[in-house]
Amino acid sequence: MIGIGPDSLAAAAAHCTPASLSDLGRLAQVIWTFLSLSLFSLGGGNTLLAEYHHLTVDQLCWLTSAQFSDLYALAEAAPGPSSMIVGLLAMGAAWKEGPLWGLLSAFSGELAILLPSTLLMVAASLSWNRLRDSPWRVAFERGLGPITLGILFAVGLKILTTANHGPLAYLVSFVVCALMLRTRISPLWFMAVAGVLGGLGVINR
Amino acid sequence: MPPSLPAAVEHLAPAPGLADLFIGMQEVALSSFGGGLSAWSQRIVVEQRRWMTNEDFLTGLTVARLFPGPNQINMAIYIGARFGGLPGALVALAGMLLVPFSLLMLLGLVYFQVHRIPQVDRVLAGVVAAAAGMALSMGFKILDTYRQDPAALVLAAGIFVAMVFFHVRLIPLVLVVAPLAMAWYWPRSAKPELR
Repeated sequence: MIGIGPDSLAAAAAHCTPASLSDLGRLAQVIWTFLSLSLFSLGGGNTLLAEYHHLTVDQLCWLTSAQFSDLYALAEAAPGPSSMIVGLLAMGAAWKEGPLWGLLSAFSGELAILLPSTLLMVAASLSWNRLRDSPWRVAFERGLGPITLGILFAVGLKILTTANHGPLAYLVSFVVCALMLRTRISPLWFMAVAGVLGGLGVINR
Repeated sequence: MPPSLPAAVEHLAPAPGLADLFIGMQEVALSSFGGGLSAWSQRIVVEQRRWMTNEDFLTGLTVARLFPGPNQINMAIYIGARFGGLPGALVALAGMLLVPFSLLMLLGLVYFQVHRIPQVDRVLAGVVAAAAGMALSMGFKILDTYRQDPAALVLAAGIFVAMVFFHVRLIPLVLVVAPLAMAWYWPRSAKPELR
């Protein structure tokens, strides 16, 4: 069921076979996976993307690498916080059980990734006056910044090498990266133009 | 509950109820469909609905960025929690996510139906290359903040090498490195102030 062409289908089958679980077992796997990651979504949540790839593609075999890249692009292109990619990943986990299981899995996964960080954020919002001047807060804020920086570079590289196969694709990525840093053009335009180039067969996987 | 209310207190609107929070956050989410969620959030919550002062809003952004979770979602939780505690936070969260998440689910349903069609796959191959460029830009965007802090750059480089070359997983990495980094950056310590 998964895979784009015969090659990737064979590759996916050779490298990764999902554990045989019942419908509910898969749902529990989805919920536990995202619950346990929630409190590690530092720096806005994008820091988790490499971990998401490792878990959903390499370890749990919910998706192929190509599907992961597609879902990342969809979440970036769609309105709203791009961290909602979790819903799409969870949908992929249960897709072969049908669209309804896919939707149930998507909602459960999204709730699971949001619940722990939401509870912590509520506690932080209500006690901020006491936290504000605490040395723990200062050390936490300063210490986690550089860690987030390192993770974001690793995540960027991971997405880059997962998404691209060929010099032209890399060129597009580098140009978009430069434009993101130098201009305030909406990234939707970059994705639209690159989508047209892909449709014309200029960029291949 | 608000910390030190500035002089502009008389211009604030009465505290929103749960329904107001839901509708207000939904308005933020819908307004920001082209991007710029944070700016829209400020315009609607501070300028139009006058629920909180700008100072209070900026404090919220600080808290939202500091704690785990997506920044925009955390900001909605901060606003909701300020006015309605846990129920307020959940209502604000639901208001912010209802429409975007439903749309994303529709997109996902369509994607898993059609992604194996060769024409669709070709278009996606292009879109994905552009999206990868966006991912690559995330680190560069915050790099400037740390230009003057060699310890931070060494720490970031170490994290990068551990993840990329030694495939260290995120959770153990953060659990080991975060306490060390916090010790290094502990205020009023004997170590020299680096920032």
